[in-house]
Amino acid sequence: MELQDKLKILSDAAKYDVSCSSSGSSRKNKAGGIGNAAESGICHSWSEDGRCISLLKILYTNYCVYDCAYCLNRISNDVPRAEFTPKELADLTINFYRRNYIEGLFLSSAIVKNPDYTMEQLLDTVKLLRELYRFNGYIHVKAIPGADYRLISEAGKYVDRMSVNIELPSNDSLKLLAPQKRKEQIIRPMGLINTEIQQTKEEKKLFRHKPSFVPAGQSTQLIVGATPESDSKIIRLSENLYQRFSLKRVYYSAYVPITNNPRLPTLQHPPTMREHRLYQADWLLRFYGFSAGELLQNEDDNFDIQLDPKTDWALKSLQHFPVEINKAPYEMLLRVPGIGVQSANRIIIARRTGPIHFEGLKKIGVVLKRAKYFITCQGKYFSELSLDSQLLRQSLLDSPQKKGPLYGQISIFDTTALIKPEEQYSKIFGEL
Amino acid sequence: MNIFIYDGSFEGLLTAVFEAFYRRINPEDIVPQERYQPDLLTTASFIEACPEKADRVYNSILEKISKQTLQYVYYVYISEEAGSGRYILDYLRLGWRLGYSVNQHLLDPRVLKIHQISKRVTVEKHRMLGLLRFQRIGELYYAEIEPDYNIVGLLAPHFSERMSDQNWMIHDLKREIAALYNQQEWVLIDADREGIPNLEARETTYEELWKAYYRHIAIPERKNPKLQKRCMPVRYWKHLTEKK
Repeated sequence: MELQDKLKILSDAAKYDVSCSSSGSSRKNKAGGIGNAAESGICHSWSEDGRCISLLKILYTNYCVYDCAYCLNRISNDVPRAEFTPKELADLTINFYRRNYIEGLFLSSAIVKNPDYTMEQLLDTVKLLRELYRFNGYIHVKAIPGADYRLISEAGKYVDRMSVNIELPSNDSLKLLAPQKRKEQIIRPMGLINTEIQQTKEEKKLFRHKPSFVPAGQSTQLIVGATPESDSKIIRLSENLYQRFSLKRVYYSAYVPITNNPRLPTLQHPPTMREHRLYQADWLLRFYGFSAGELLQNEDDNFDIQLDPKTDWALKSLQHFPVEINKAPYEMLLRVPGIGVQSANRIIIARRTGPIHFEGLKKIGVVLKRAKYFITCQGKYFSELSLDSQLLRQSLLDSPQKKGPLYGQISIFDTTALIKPEEQYSKIFGEL
Repeated sequence: MNIFIYDGSFEGLLTAVFEAFYRRINPEDIVPQERYQPDLLTTASFIEACPEKADRVYNSILEKISKQTLQYVYYVYISEEAGSGRYILDYLRLGWRLGYSVNQHLLDPRVLKIHQISKRVTVEKHRMLGLLRFQRIGELYYAEIEPDYNIVGLLAPHFSERMSDQNWMIHDLKREIAALYNQQEWVLIDADREGIPNLEARETTYEELWKAYYRHIAIPERKNPKLQKRCMPVRYWKHLTEKK
């Protein structure tokens, strides 16, 4: 098979993996080597769907022994199959890299033969790149669930980031849609990788030349909308993953209907707005000091599609507002809708030199359209509305005309978003 | 109305700042020669670049204000925006008065202006680290760019670290300058369109592979041209292999 055909098949098969990040590693180039990693990560292009392309995101092979219902590569699906050799992949990576198309490689794979064999192929590829090709750019590799941990650990010495995809946010869904995968197979390597990352960090403090181990940390991915879990369950799972396994990122992937399997819901469009709300909430967990329980109180709650999670929280917590810009501590500033990490930092810096006036806030980057209802500036309240949850809610709603097209087709609102989750999944449960 | 004109070099600009202080003149603007448009109401004086005077200003910024301020001044200089000479002068006057803390005065219009322009330059520099595309012609990797700001000199160090074992050239077609690297060091040279190598002779195998990859990695059900254009403005597409 021509290289071009393999590339087409195996990039097509890799596209539902959303991770694109190339950040968190500061690997240096060595004499006679090629490449380095940029701590902040670099995006090299954006595809037609508006997602950033940073790494050559590709599968080693799409030959699979598993039959997961949600997956394009399942054994029962009739699609063209292909398999790279480690050398072909290394050549592609290096030549793309030399032309500055990419930041590095994101290598994943379907399960060919068995998990150990698959992991060995991935390991061979990254070893070839690092040792023979002297490549020092970014490498993200999947830890194949069920593979011997010694293989996974060996790969960890060569790569910058590793991930194990959870995909389905609960054990029940896993049993329903991916009967050959078990929760333990996914969670166990995550735990082991995390332990080794933490150990390496400690040892690095003592021995400077201790070789690195997955320096950019671990990530995972959850599919949203293929199974009936509520946003609350998903965001609680994420919180757990961040706390227990020190994950760097949890990615959320709006389910794209790719099969007519009766166990899966029929959606007109992927639920991109729901995915967007989950990302917003995820940011609130990681950078804004929120806990999952604050954002959604009950297990079955879902985020308001028309209101971002922070504004939604603020409207339910009006007893904390208004906040005085010139006095409030950093943690409280972060909780004001319309104030982000950057603008909160700028407020802290600017008020050292003198009081901040209402007009000054806009210059600092505060979104007054949202923030004005929740703040006072030198004791003055600037909104024309009083602090009333119902009134404020009306004026803070995202207007679909303005916001819709940025996140997906406007028709999401008529199809998936406004249908209650129960209705969406009736089809699944009908089968049970 | 007084205007200072300089040769366009950073040294020239710093010399002009020096003269503004020591001649006790408050020029309306400090303009590079090639952007100067004479008019009846202004008195223009040409300031000859002087290494000693420029050094004194340079060191004084480092010692009395901060390294960060020096970087801001340099970024505003390469932004080539109208009025940037004047903004720099106002900012430095304030800086010498307030010292290190000048960059905390985020609400002062003189500081704000400098921060805003620097930010735009920083954003474009970071963007270009990703959007720049090399084409392989024989043993040379050649990239054409037309950035809004004069950032070739900011890009070169990144690529000399990263692509240290290949010969490359980054050609700013707009400003007719180029950074040239020979696996040892990089230099900035004048390079007009005559300096473009023969692109017909370029190697295209990997260009075709990259284009195929680019098409297949997008999820058709999530097509979102608006988001794509917001992240990757159309003015940069001209030199992108995958968009040609």
